[in-house]
Amino acid sequence: MSTATGYNFAYLDEQSKRMIRRAILKGVAIPGYQVPFGGREMPLPHGWGTGGMQVTASVIGETDKLKVIDQGADDTTNAVSIRRFFAHTAGVETTEQTADATLIQTRHRIPERPLQADQILIYQVPIPEPLRFIEPRESETRKMHALSEYGAMQVKLYEDVARFGHIATSYDYPVMVNNRYMMDPSPIPKFDNPKMSMMPALQLFGAGFEKRIYAVPPFTQVESLDFDDHPFEVQSWDEACAICGSDHSFLDEVITDDNGSKMFVCSDTDYCRERVEQGFVGTAADLPIADLSIAEVETN
Amino acid sequence: MAVSSHELIAGFADPVQASQQVFRAALKVMSEPGTRVEVDYVEQAPKGLDLSTWQLALSLLDPDTRVWLSPTLASSDAVISNLRFHCQCPLVEFPKDADFAIALNTELPQLAELNWGSAEYPDRSTTLVVQVPALSAEPFWTLSGPGIEHTRSLRIAGLPDAFRAELIKSRQRFPLGIDTFWCCDNRLTALPRTTKIEPRTTAIEPLNTEQEAC
Ligand SMILES: [Zn+2]
Repeated sequence: MSTATGYNFAYLDEQSKRMIRRAILKGVAIPGYQVPFGGREMPLPHGWGTGGMQVTASVIGETDKLKVIDQGADDTTNAVSIRRFFAHTAGVETTEQTADATLIQTRHRIPERPLQADQILIYQVPIPEPLRFIEPRESETRKMHALSEYGAMQVKLYEDVARFGHIATSYDYPVMVNNRYMMDPSPIPKFDNPKMSMMPALQLFGAGFEKRIYAVPPFTQVESLDFDDHPFEVQSWDEACAICGSDHSFLDEVITDDNGSKMFVCSDTDYCRERVEQGFVGTAADLPIADLSIAEVETN
Repeated sequence: MAVSSHELIAGFADPVQASQQVFRAALKVMSEPGTRVEVDYVEQAPKGLDLSTWQLALSLLDPDTRVWLSPTLASSDAVISNLRFHCQCPLVEFPKDADFAIALNTELPQLAELNWGSAEYPDRSTTLVVQVPALSAEPFWTLSGPGIEHTRSLRIAGLPDAFRAELIKSRQRFPLGIDTFWCCDNRLTALPRTTKIEPRTTAIEPLNTEQEAC
């Protein structure tokens, strides 16, 4: 496949790619540590996640197969546009199937299907610094990371426990990487946090506005913060997916008609489709999946 | 030193694609330490450089990266001319000032002479690229750490004992540290600062590795 003429391959200039590539290598060498990077801005529509785009543009090659998900779905406007963008500027094949993809750019979910060695998961990160809301000054958060001074985050989580009786933070739930650096996993649901640990695939994180890259190499320990008397727990549902019957995926609440009828379906649309193909059924098995993609999705 | 045009050789035939492929090879070995990959995007390297060293340079070096060369490489017209011409990277006199240090296994700087980064910015450290006579999966070193599910075996031939000891000990200073690429002909592996190295045998390894392929 050939790329459109008049563009740099994958849109980004070669010098910026080299800079980002060197930052990625350092990020991999220091798991969970935020590497600052320079380079030019990548002028892109709002909502595409420049950081994730810059990382993808620097990593992607002609033989890659790209999957893009937004909140678990392959068919949202942003996911479709980003896939088209790289198909156009890099001439790569795209796919919606997790198992087929070599690169997966994601906003806010980790696929339910376990990722494999040699796959790369690229997260779009809005705010890379987990300590930012505690300490606005970069020079100070750098020091806190240097000294592993993470008590303030424990205090914040414990305030949750004091107020609600449990840790209320359910997205952006902070983790410790390789027992050393505190890391913001990006706004994935904490349901996905355990998938980050010892994952056979490489995980790269790009924050465009703050120009930070960080990484979790394959088979690296990632632990969610918790307390002895309040251990980390993931979200769970009493319902199963109405389409595929899955009782172990992250579910979205979907409004199915004008009367406000609701049901729960897998947020990972590819996983749900795969299960339906395998013959799994839910309580709304007769409802075509296509109807759901246009329904209003509420994440809880 | 100026560029000697008669020493110049071709770089990548397709710089955009080859740079990306070599970067992915580098990313693979840095994120799965001790795995060995082959890179074959050039026909030849400047005399003195291995094919894999040359391809890493073409992929990662540019005017923003300060480079230190070990004495034999630093005095090679072919190496200097091609690095200047293809990468335009500034060359520095002291390893401490280098973003990348490229060394022969017989001319290794002491690790302490390199830049280890700072507590706030451990990424601002020298990446060390070493050319060695052989790389294999023989169980001389047992590696563990991020990127390795259980353990991985690696043998890097031709390293002075003192350097081996220094490298193993350097892990104590994490997150400061030196990340390393190891090049042999068209092969490449890496050991980031996170990789723990357990010498499996205390026997002294012979330095004579001439019959071995890498
Ligand atoms: Zn489902």
